[in-house]
Amino acid sequence: MKSKAISVESLKKYYKKVKAVNGISFDVDYGDLFALLGPNGAGKSTTIRVLTTLAAPTSGNVKVAGYDVIREDKKVRQKIGLVSDRLILYDRLTVLENIVFFSKLYNLDKKTIITRAEKLLSLLHIWEWKNTVVSKLSTGMKQKVNIARALIPEPDIIFLDEPMLGLDPEATRTIRNFIAALNKDGKTIILTTHVLYEVELLANKVAIMNKGKIVAIDTPRNLRNHFKREEIVEVETDSPIGDLNFDGEILEKIDNYMKVKVEDLDYFLKELTEMNIKIKNIKTFEPSLEDIFIKITSDEKDGVKS
Amino acid sequence: MKVFMIAWKDLKTFLRSRTMVIFSIAMPIIMMLMLGYIFPQNVGKISGKVGFYSQDLLFKATIKVANVSNAIFFNSKEGLIHALAKDEIVVGAVVPKNFTADMALGKAQIDVIPNPANPQAGIMMAQMIPTMAGNSSSSKTKKVKVNLTNVDGSAFNYYDFMAPGIMALVAIMSVANGLAASITRERELGTMDGLMVTPINRGNIVVGKIVAQTVRGLIQAIIVLGISMLFFNVKILGSIWSTILLLILGIFSFIGVGIIITASVKEQETAQIMMTTITFPMMFFSGIFFPVDQMPKFAQYISYIFPLTYAADALRKVITLGVGFSYISTDVIVLLGFAIVSSLVATIGFKKLIQD
Ligand SMILES: Nc1ncnc2c1ncn2[C@@H]1O[C@H](COP(=O)(O)OP(=O)(O)OP(=O)(O)O)[C@@H](O)[C@H]1O
Ligand SMILES: [Mg+2]
Repeated sequence: MKSKAISVESLKKYYKKVKAVNGISFDVDYGDLFALLGPNGAGKSTTIRVLTTLAAPTSGNVKVAGYDVIREDKKVRQKIGLVSDRLILYDRLTVLENIVFFSKLYNLDKKTIITRAEKLLSLLHIWEWKNTVVSKLSTGMKQKVNIARALIPEPDIIFLDEPMLGLDPEATRTIRNFIAALNKDGKTIILTTHVLYEVELLANKVAIMNKGKIVAIDTPRNLRNHFKREEIVEVETDSPIGDLNFDGEILEKIDNYMKVKVEDLDYFLKELTEMNIKIKNIKTFEPSLEDIFIKITSDEKDGVKS
Repeated sequence: MKVFMIAWKDLKTFLRSRTMVIFSIAMPIIMMLMLGYIFPQNVGKISGKVGFYSQDLLFKATIKVANVSNAIFFNSKEGLIHALAKDEIVVGAVVPKNFTADMALGKAQIDVIPNPANPQAGIMMAQMIPTMAGNSSSSKTKKVKVNLTNVDGSAFNYYDFMAPGIMALVAIMSVANGLAASITRERELGTMDGLMVTPINRGNIVVGKIVAQTVRGLIQAIIVLGISMLFFNVKILGSIWSTILLLILGIFSFIGVGIIITASVKEQETAQIMMTTITFPMMFFSGIFFPVDQMPKFAQYISYIFPLTYAADALRKVITLGVGFSYISTDVIVLLGFAIVSSLVATIGFKKLIQD
């Protein structure tokens, strides 16, 4: 049996009275791109802080790379890289000075560091800025340097806490593709975000957090299927559609065109055929993770647990 | 080595901020200039014993006549200086061979050496001697000329008293302040997480910062000394290495305060306010600007709780009197005690600081 990259058992992290993380359990396999999704204050960053040995758990069992985060914290730190929700760069040092400083703390020699930095920074299109003081870079460039800083020691497990926050679409795309490529290269990645689109594109496993708890955890596809209760269908027919009897709601209806929300697609289609109407074109919309996310987190607020 | 990487990084970021560098240099300069001119020159009663080294055999009798009951006589100038260093006397006077004879001729001279810990007494003595010797304020003819001098014979001035104290103050205060500021800033920015997530021993982080701040504090102290020497005729009569060693000891005796404050409050502003609350009274109670001996008794007791009092005292003796460690052993032992307690506090404080 291959060991897990991360295993979390009944983790709780309280700050005085604030239950930032209130009993969560999950596993991450090596090679996974695991996404932690949740609204503000859900406890995502706190979970990352515990996993990266920056915060001590109040209770629970947490292992990263097979090491206990409390007893073997130094070994854990040897294996991980962190891009936290705040920039880990010194404003007054240049790009390269920052990277050399942090990498040397991992016992890398300067030659290795420069070789790796050139490769990484070139990939991210910022090698030419290497001698610029960080304070003079744009937000997007800073984040690219920040990511490079975390990656140069070549950690097995990479934590990215909202890495695309505040970036323009161009920078977001570059970094997103970069993350996908990293994962393809076999790196285990733990990503937090509230942008669901990122998760749909990148992750192979998602945990949705709310108020310190994991309310759903699965692959993005399964989550979508599991929460698929209703579908939106667009149909175009050869003749005008008359009155229909089905469970659902008509959203739009113009002559031969109709947009409906249905509980059971099969039943709806059967109805149509029974009326002798031929379908020229049909398009179904699956619920996005966004729909699921909003549904789950609002159910929680109403006190209705799914 | 990790310690020095962190120290060097801290120093480099410091050097890149022009305003920070300018103010670090300007602060001691302004302090020296400002305080040099506001020292009170009031005259009161000498409290403590007065030492004499007399080369004139008739002088003792003259003094008896003048009824100076708190006088001690020494057989050599060295004896006199050592008594000053040990605080056995508050002021020393060197009486030349033909003093009494010259007095009759109206050309007598006397050298008064103030104890640098309490120059007031020296100044008072300088004013009293002419009266004692029969100079009447009404008569224009001065019978005795009093030279207020240092041990080496050069003229004593207030800076001889103040410079060592300000050196200690600047070093101790800027290190404790700088340490608190540097730790809280990194914590607020998030770079502290970046350091703590690397596989280094976390102790290296705080030791590295202490090294960086100590270097900066020493440089500031040396600026104070440089200005004092260049513009105010202060001379280092003792060893420069003893001076630096004492400064480092002083710095370490106060480091715990900086760290424990940083550990107990999270925001940089609050830490700064707390630091000021402690250092401000320390400035006045530690006898930097006004001699501890001249303070009311209760203020003297308060002064004993500040390590700066001992550091300033020891530095004055080394710089102005030029004595070695054997004469400041009490100060050094007390400072060592403070430094040990302070380091323990710093260790505990730092452990608390990195907990989240
Ligand atoms: N150091 C701390 N001290 C006290 N409370 C904290 C601390 N860190 C986090 N919290 C609280 O814990 C809860 C979870 O915070 P956390 O930062 O983990 O949420 P998050 O999911 O990352 O939110 P966001 O999307 O806004 O980043 C919040 O209520 C927050 O106020
Ligand atoms: Mg967060």
